[in-house]
Amino acid sequence: MKHPVRRLKRGGVSYVKWGYIFIIPFFAAYLFFTLVPQLMTIYNSLFENYRDGLNQVGPNFVGLKNYKTLFSPDNSGSIGFLKYFGNTMILWILGAVPQILVALLLAVFFTSYRLRIKAQPFFKTVIYLPNLIMASAFSMLFFTLFSNVGPINQLIVQMGWADVKIDFFASTITVRGLIALMNFLMWFGNTTILLMAGIMGIDQSLFESATIDGAGPLQVFFKVTLPLLMPILIYVVITALIGGLQMFDVPQILTNGIGMPDRTSTTMVMYLNNYLSTSKNFGMAGAVSVVLFLVSAGLSVFVYGTLTKRSRED
Amino acid sequence: MIQRKNAAGRIHLLVARVVVYTILIFLSALCLFSFYLLIVNASRSNAQLQAGFSLLPQGNFFTNLKNAWNDASINIPRGVLNSFLVAGLTAVLTTYFSALTAYGIHAYTFRGKKAVFTCIMAVMMIPPQVSAVGFVQLMTKLGMTNSFLPLILPGIAAPVVFFYMKQYLESVLPMEIVEAARCDGSSEFSTFNRIVLPIMKPALAVQLIFSFVASWNNYFIPALLLDKAEMKTVPIMIAQLRSADYSKFDMGKVYMFILLAILPVLIVYIFLSRSIIKGVTAGSVKG
Amino acid sequence: MKKTLSLILALLMVLSVLAGCSKSPAETPAGEEGKVFNIYAWNEEFKGFFEKYYEVPEGITVNWIINPSDHGVYQDKLDAALMGQSGASADDKVDLFLAEADYILKYVDNGATQDITKIGVTDFSNTYEYTVQAATDSKGVVKGVSFQCCPSAMIYRRSIAKDVLGTDDPAAVQEAVSDWAKFEAVAGQAKDKGYYMTASFASTYRVFSNNATAPWVDAENNLQFDAQVNAWMDQTEDFVSNGYTLTSGIWDDETTAQMFMDGKTMCFFGPAWYYNFSMGNAQDKDNGCFGDWAICQGPQAHFWGGTWLLAASGSDNPTMVADIMNTFINDEEVCSNLVKNEMQFSNNQAVNAKFAEDPEFSSAFLGGQNDTAMFVELAKNIKFENVTIYDQLLNEGLQAYMQEYYKGAVTKEEAMQNFLNYVNETYPAIITN
Repeated sequence: MKHPVRRLKRGGVSYVKWGYIFIIPFFAAYLFFTLVPQLMTIYNSLFENYRDGLNQVGPNFVGLKNYKTLFSPDNSGSIGFLKYFGNTMILWILGAVPQILVALLLAVFFTSYRLRIKAQPFFKTVIYLPNLIMASAFSMLFFTLFSNVGPINQLIVQMGWADVKIDFFASTITVRGLIALMNFLMWFGNTTILLMAGIMGIDQSLFESATIDGAGPLQVFFKVTLPLLMPILIYVVITALIGGLQMFDVPQILTNGIGMPDRTSTTMVMYLNNYLSTSKNFGMAGAVSVVLFLVSAGLSVFVYGTLTKRSRED
Repeated sequence: MIQRKNAAGRIHLLVARVVVYTILIFLSALCLFSFYLLIVNASRSNAQLQAGFSLLPQGNFFTNLKNAWNDASINIPRGVLNSFLVAGLTAVLTTYFSALTAYGIHAYTFRGKKAVFTCIMAVMMIPPQVSAVGFVQLMTKLGMTNSFLPLILPGIAAPVVFFYMKQYLESVLPMEIVEAARCDGSSEFSTFNRIVLPIMKPALAVQLIFSFVASWNNYFIPALLLDKAEMKTVPIMIAQLRSADYSKFDMGKVYMFILLAILPVLIVYIFLSRSIIKGVTAGSVKG
Repeated sequence: MKKTLSLILALLMVLSVLAGCSKSPAETPAGEEGKVFNIYAWNEEFKGFFEKYYEVPEGITVNWIINPSDHGVYQDKLDAALMGQSGASADDKVDLFLAEADYILKYVDNGATQDITKIGVTDFSNTYEYTVQAATDSKGVVKGVSFQCCPSAMIYRRSIAKDVLGTDDPAAVQEAVSDWAKFEAVAGQAKDKGYYMTASFASTYRVFSNNATAPWVDAENNLQFDAQVNAWMDQTEDFVSNGYTLTSGIWDDETTAQMFMDGKTMCFFGPAWYYNFSMGNAQDKDNGCFGDWAICQGPQAHFWGGTWLLAASGSDNPTMVADIMNTFINDEEVCSNLVKNEMQFSNNQAVNAKFAEDPEFSSAFLGGQNDTAMFVELAKNIKFENVTIYDQLLNEGLQAYMQEYYKGAVTKEEAMQNFLNYVNETYPAIITN
């Protein structure tokens, strides 16, 4: 990678307007299709606004009441939002950490001139396949596979691995494990391709000179590949984090919206969806969204900050 | 000395290869398993499916295919057509405009650039489910329900794709090329189209397929906006079928529908994956 | 890649243009009423009967707008359409829509539906009273009709009943399970012989909840648990701990797998639509047990489900709306076909009585029992009362969260708290403490 020389020719004033022109379509579309709806969301969070049957209740201005409700404990003393935030983080870590590590490993394998992996197109095509299946179809498939009368249980009993069927949907560990496994399968191929594209963008001569200087594969990875891959890796980690915080389809369909057991696989967006689906409770949903946004933004800034700082230090 | 080192290196390499291939084969098997099961299940009758698990296909494939294809209320060929239209156009718009925006921010210095970048990053964090509510309210007010436009046009502003393009440009685009083009009298717009875009080919190919798939599989928004039978996209049909409720519930047909729903993407993907891999390789030369 | 891509795009463009052209040109209204008739439904059941037995007047196109009922999607779409009804063009207006017992009140007691006696549906003499009552608003205005009557029965395996009770005769079996104490005693006997009494922890839910003496919410919108609901929870707790039932849900594979020949479950509960449509496993040629079934009332009379046709306000086809309704409740031939060909229990008492008294008429699935005769008796005990607009999701939610308790994943207190949180999220109007 060569350092851009843009600082050299800053003088060309006439080019500045092109920066604006090039970003206009994006912002026009964003303004109309996203920002306006989003502002409506924030505005909504200050109102009591829901549907009771066919009757609309509100909008009545209630100030921060929705936020207060969001953070007040229920009879058992637990605060729903915090619990679902915790669930989401656990589910994300369980799925994303192996996903990124495995993807990094595979990307290095595929791009290694030493290993010269055969049948690369085949492997690449196959590992990306799960990403093509609709989350709903994939979740449905997993639900049938792991149900009490499903093939996995039939196998477990036939093989004598356990005396009785394992009820995968009655235990926190197994439900979370299944969700993590599905997220891993659906996304590791995608991440591998992204990282591979990143590695292949690195100047090959850097690898060669590092090897000539006597660096082993591990040293090459940590001293050359990883630092130069940082921009793409930051992208991967942040998008994985955002995807994780917005996790919805897989747990929603796998648990049929219940987040069983004891709501330990209910994610923040499932919680949001609970307010939206029947009652169209835009007030509470708005409040959940705003808090969700603040949490996501905070975490992303933190991750972005630490990663870029580390890459600069390296 | 050198020979010994070579021999050790060869054994080392052999072990490494065995480990690597084992990992790859294991992961591939894991990925293929669900597809395999889907195909097997699509070849079984409802009774066979209810009766238990089978690793071998059974003879009901064409019966299921006929039932699924001729289903009166779920017009899967129409759904595939609709989905292709929406996903194809969305993918093209998303990829092109994200690249354009990323280039606009990467290559030019202008007042408020940093603020603009931060703004897009912040936008990226907001769950789409949130704006969906306001979005549907707005589209309903504008009478744009049962239209493909509200599904396609928002693709112009895709912060996540923009972010990828920006990161990619940062690692591959030498500004000398742009400067050189300027010296040759190329206009800024044509520099982008004729010089920058080809350099970004690997990134474009990757994001083209990613955004195509994302749009193809999108259920949330289309389900809120489309309800006319002839406008429905594939995921809406799948969901409809899934909850077509307990009456006349034919799981064999359901699996066949799922198979039909992913088959076109599969074909397009296998078709495009060659280009992606070629594109990725081409990208490395320019680094 | 560019070439192939542009090829695909070009192809798509052409196709989209073609698709656009194939749309029929806007029809000009000729005559008094609209040319497009829109029906909202959540599945294909009624559509099948409609296409078979109703002759659509010439020149009218029927549009079916079908959305799944899962997670309230059907109701959401319908609500949006009804709320936008006044602004919609004549051809886009909802003319007729279907509703289920659990949420019919939401639409009946609202201006979104219209008085059907004013558009020509006036003869309810043959319909079951509860079906009219369900479609009548608080001011006594009738808004729709049901095309079926849904008394629910105890559906039992004849072979297992013989093994456990020594008889499979419906009258004798009914005698053995005629109240909950007897039912529980039989469950014990079944268990001793290696059988389950029911296949799902929620099998008996409707039997209890349909006999509730108070609605889910009181006049001030406070959530309340009826004694019958509490009784269901207590009984189910015993059933699960004694191994009388499985912990799977009503629609789960594990439950429906019990309907095969090698199933170990003695009793299921449901109306005619349940064994016609939902017991496909029992009807399976190779693994099922077709003919090994019979029905009796069971411990308590109750009903389950049913599909009502409601007339939307603002419809531009009132005559056809009325005609459809009259056809499915008063046309003797159509109602007879529903019973004879579709194994429905129709909403026409005269027709049902005709089949009930016919010695030639019987159900092969039920081993030659005349189910219509049984349902005629059961229909007399149906009460449609204590309903609220919230019932569907409250019933579903309670079952879903209590299931975790019966599976041993949570304590009863945790299950109840989860249910209350669910109620708060789903229905802000309901007060839970």
